[in-house]
Amino acid sequence: MSFLSLVVKNPFRNKTRSALAIVGISIGIIVIVALGMVTGGLENSTQSTLKAGAAEITVIQTGSNSFGSGGSLNESLAASLLSINGVKDTTGILRATNTSTTVTATTTNSSSSGFGAEGGVSITGIEANKLSLIGIDSVNGTAFTNTSTNQVIMGITIAQSLNKTVGDTINLYGKNFTITGTYETGNFITDAGIMMPLSTLQNLTSNQNKISDVLVKVTDNANVTTVSQSIENAYPNQLSTTTAADQANRINQGLSFINTASWAISLLAIFIGAVGVINTMIMSVYERTREIGVLKAVGWRDRRILGMILGESIVLTLLAFVIGTIVAVVGVELILTLSPSVGGIIKPSFAYDIFLRAFVVAFLVGVIGGLYPAYRASRLSPTEALRYE
Amino acid sequence: MNNTGNIIEIKGLKKSYDNGKIKALNGMDLEVKKGEFISIMGPSGSGKSSLLNMIGALDRADEGTITVAGIDLMKTKKLYEFRSKEIGFVFQMHNLIPNLSVLENVQIPMFETKTSSKDMKKRALELLKAVNLEDKINQKPTKLSGGERQRVAIARALVNHPSIILADEPTGSLDSKTGEVILNLLKDLHSKENVTLVMVTHEPYVGKMAERIVTVLDGKCQNIISTL
Repeated sequence: MSFLSLVVKNPFRNKTRSALAIVGISIGIIVIVALGMVTGGLENSTQSTLKAGAAEITVIQTGSNSFGSGGSLNESLAASLLSINGVKDTTGILRATNTSTTVTATTTNSSSSGFGAEGGVSITGIEANKLSLIGIDSVNGTAFTNTSTNQVIMGITIAQSLNKTVGDTINLYGKNFTITGTYETGNFITDAGIMMPLSTLQNLTSNQNKISDVLVKVTDNANVTTVSQSIENAYPNQLSTTTAADQANRINQGLSFINTASWAISLLAIFIGAVGVINTMIMSVYERTREIGVLKAVGWRDRRILGMILGESIVLTLLAFVIGTIVAVVGVELILTLSPSVGGIIKPSFAYDIFLRAFVVAFLVGVIGGLYPAYRASRLSPTEALRYE
Repeated sequence: MNNTGNIIEIKGLKKSYDNGKIKALNGMDLEVKKGEFISIMGPSGSGKSSLLNMIGALDRADEGTITVAGIDLMKTKKLYEFRSKEIGFVFQMHNLIPNLSVLENVQIPMFETKTSSKDMKKRALELLKAVNLEDKINQKPTKLSGGERQRVAIARALVNHPSIILADEPTGSLDSKTGEVILNLLKDLHSKENVTLVMVTHEPYVGKMAERIVTVLDGKCQNIISTL
């Protein structure tokens, strides 16, 4: 028998008490891992908005919402902006929302309620040769042609949610469209949408020659903020600009708030768990006072007794780490699978630092929770411990 | 051990508790030869267990000298090392660890001896065979009778090849028949392992099994009788 096996066995002498302590710590670990996976996924998506190749500036009409639907700008504006110093490329896009999507799979000929039945499907009209400006670098299948009236490409998230693939058909605005390709940008909003030719969407939504945004790509050596300011100066009180970095910062501020809140919740859960561990270990030491006396009588050093009790505490919390991590991962996946509207937006992160953080927390709770009981046990007088009833 | 052949030498040993109100040892003198079997007798509160605790380095005396196996226990700092190497304890209550098997319980004292797991198991098996428990090595102590538990405790006491076995009322919680079996086993192992046996008891028939009976009263040795 090794000392380690003794340390691993001992916590389970009182199974109910140990199980309760493990549950307490596990709740803290679940909170840390689950919130970490969700916020990590959102952060990854935010980073994707800054990817190389995509437009750095979004131009909208002053007073309108950059994510809003409908056309408020004239499509000739995209060409006009090319004359501004530092602008390399532009494209006009039209955003719309289809609130009554019915999806028909040609392969199975079955119908089902479409993605986002409550909020609608986000559809963007854009010219096929400008897809890179919205962050679509490659298409699985083929992109639509600009003159087509029945072709779309679909984001990977919505495609998965609707179980659609290249060649299937989707009904939008009462008309069937063939999915010619799917794409993945990493941006959770873009990946949850559908792209079609700009002119087709303009016709479908009665927005002829209208666009909602202009996406602007700056030249390699240009300063994004300077170009952005130049656009606003050229069209005072008419156009407003938002840079990708601004958008990412705004989202990051929100994520930062969620992160802070998750840490506060985690710390509370950890504190409660640590109190549980201290209680469990103190009770264990009290019950085993006589046994500790025997261990001292047979020649165990104080340090070994301290190590044993501390080790038992760490065993409890590391077990809680394993259980908590499994529950968190399975729970997050389950919730996202059962709720496609949420699952379509959030792709959970499995970054190692989330699990490392949970491991470190579990380990520290084990050390902190076990330190006092272990110290107390190691300082027991052998004669008093042996007399303990 | 010194050149007198004494493994235990105690002179003028004093120990008091509760700020001097209770004088457990009050000038105790005792000499025990290597390989000897002595029993310590006396009424409750006479200082028997305190004497045993001093010999086993579970506690330090206030005054006097005590040398056990050549080590001055008033001066040495590593009392745990002394206990691990030189002393084997057998308590009235077996004090086995309930969640460990018989075999694992016997191995417990060897954690401080840098013995390999294989050798720990070998030595424990050897002793469990000597106390006739080789068929119960995987059982938990709760499944054993009182006599069997005490036999496990004896095996545990001998596992580190100690010079001295200190037995505190080893038959106190057993019926007379089982107690006799345990006493015979202790006596037998004391001879075979060439270990000094110091046993505290308040039962005269148990005391008479030793080579000498030391009577303790008011923290002092009152009488030493040879039974040989």
